Amino acid sequence: MADPKKEVIIGDPGMFAEAATRRSFLRALGLGGSIVLLPGVFAACGDDDDDNGGIINPPPGGAVVLNLGTDIGIINYAYALEQLEAAFYTEVVTKFSTNGINDATERAILTDIRNHEVIHRDFLKLALGDAAIPNLSVNFGTATSSRQAALETARTFEDLGVAAYNGAGKYLANVNNLLLAGKIVSVEGRHAAVIRDILGTTGREFAGDDVVDSQGLDRAFEPAVVLSAADPFITTTITIGTAPRL
Amino acid sequence: MNDKDLLSGIDPDTTGELISRRNAILKGATTSTAMMTALRIGTVPVVLAALSKDVYGQTPADVLDVLQFAYLLENLEAEFYKAVTGSSTSSAFNTAFAPVRATLTTREVATFEQIRKHEIAHVTLLRTAIIGAGGTPANFTPASFDFTGGDGSGTGPFLAATTNKGFLLAAAQGFEDTGVRAYKGQAGRLINDNATLTIALQIHSVEARHAAVVRKMRAASGAPVKASGTITGRQSGITGVPAPGQALVDSIYAGATPEDNTNHTAFNGTANATINAASLAGISAFGGVDAVTEAFDEPLTKAEVTAIVAPFVVGSNP
Repeated sequence: MADPKKEVIIGDPGMFAEAATRRSFLRALGLGGSIVLLPGVFAACGDDDDDNGGIINPPPGGAVVLNLGTDIGIINYAYALEQLEAAFYTEVVTKFSTNGINDATERAILTDIRNHEVIHRDFLKLALGDAAIPNLSVNFGTATSSRQAALETARTFEDLGVAAYNGAGKYLANVNNLLLAGKIVSVEGRHAAVIRDILGTTGREFAGDDVVDSQGLDRAFEPAVVLSAADPFITTTITIGTAPRL
Repeated sequence: MNDKDLLSGIDPDTTGELISRRNAILKGATTSTAMMTALRIGTVPVVLAALSKDVYGQTPADVLDVLQFAYLLENLEAEFYKAVTGSSTSSAFNTAFAPVRATLTTREVATFEQIRKHEIAHVTLLRTAIIGAGGTPANFTPASFDFTGGDGSGTGPFLAATTNKGFLLAAAQGFEDTGVRAYKGQAGRLINDNATLTIALQIHSVEARHAAVVRKMRAASGAPVKASGTITGRQSGITGVPAPGQALVDSIYAGATPEDNTNHTAFNGTANATINAASLAGISAFGGVDAVTEAFDEPLTKAEVTAIVAPFVVGSNP
């Protein structure tokens, strides 16, 4: 959460996707204007110059708006995905005694990946500081309850993570942030290959023709596509405020 | 990129130089006539753009240089896997790798063929990109390479890769991890060429997939690497390569930013913050420093990569 002093609970969260609205609001506040609280609808407001990365941090249970027009917004987008992955593998590992993942090598691989994703998540959270989006609520249903479901969902998440970073690199304006994303995405690629190889039978699945095209290129997805694919597993509503900017 | 970004990207050193050159011009001193003309006729944005760090560091020539560099690496890899799988246009290479090829399982051959397919596709794609960028692709043939690392002798320290599966997989891991680190090191030079950057990233993650599956194959055969396909510390898990091959293998995981680096920098909108990921709270419950090093791959510089591949590129070893 951002600095509590900067947060004000008000009405329609959608209003705050507009910088102008937010400026008016803050101006009203500064002039002692009154605020109407609409029942059941809450949003919190950052300050009006996007120095928190344009992230609107809602109360728990509220929607998260990702404003992707800045590097901070893109890093928050990555942080959201790392939260999802870390939570997934944490649950998979916790259920080893019941989900049928008994092979020592498979357990070691999934535990390693859990560690890496937790580290990615915690590192990005620390890097984002006050600009970090809140903890997301997730629901994996039965995806962690059996070996096949867990591995197939892991494959989905890793391939999605690779495509997300590949697609978002162009939106990063700062070379350090681009390098940081590069340091993470190849590890996601390694995870994807290993999970796919576990599931595979021919030896080609680690970088199968379903994810690597005839030009030898991995996938690169736009944030909207990635968030839509991740949506079934995230109970927190995530919406894109401002679009990513080249 | 908007004007604000352009202005914020001006290197303070360059700005200082601009001011000093302006002063020089005002004094009618030693500045070249060409520079004086450029400054006189250029609009302010043009001059700023010319001297902006962003643009300064990433000219079209820079992009072309990255493409040519990648083209060498992809040709090296493509010719290597062609030789391994017996589809090289050099019958000598096909014959050389026949002993180790005979030891591969059907599945292992399929994995190598899949990797080969991608490397060949990368060569084709990069060749097109180089021509599109106004460059001339170098002319590589099988004879351009020596996979024993002997700079053309055919008897270098990696000769055992032609007969020993474990050694072959070790060599493949070395090539793939070098490729991953090489692309990562060049990404920053492409930051203002979105199309080329995206393609480079899309190749980069494919190389990472290759590296991981090779590492997983090695782990399955007992080599001291993680089955998760990730790099622990700066460990190659490769030992016993005859000199100077072992030092070369070790250098793949070393460099200015070695693979065991745990400090990573993010720009938060106002400042660069470097965070030591090894000091994250509770890290001991999540694999400790080893896991931290595995969670982040590191870049190699172009010079570092060039030194690594030199013994495999005939005529390039000093």
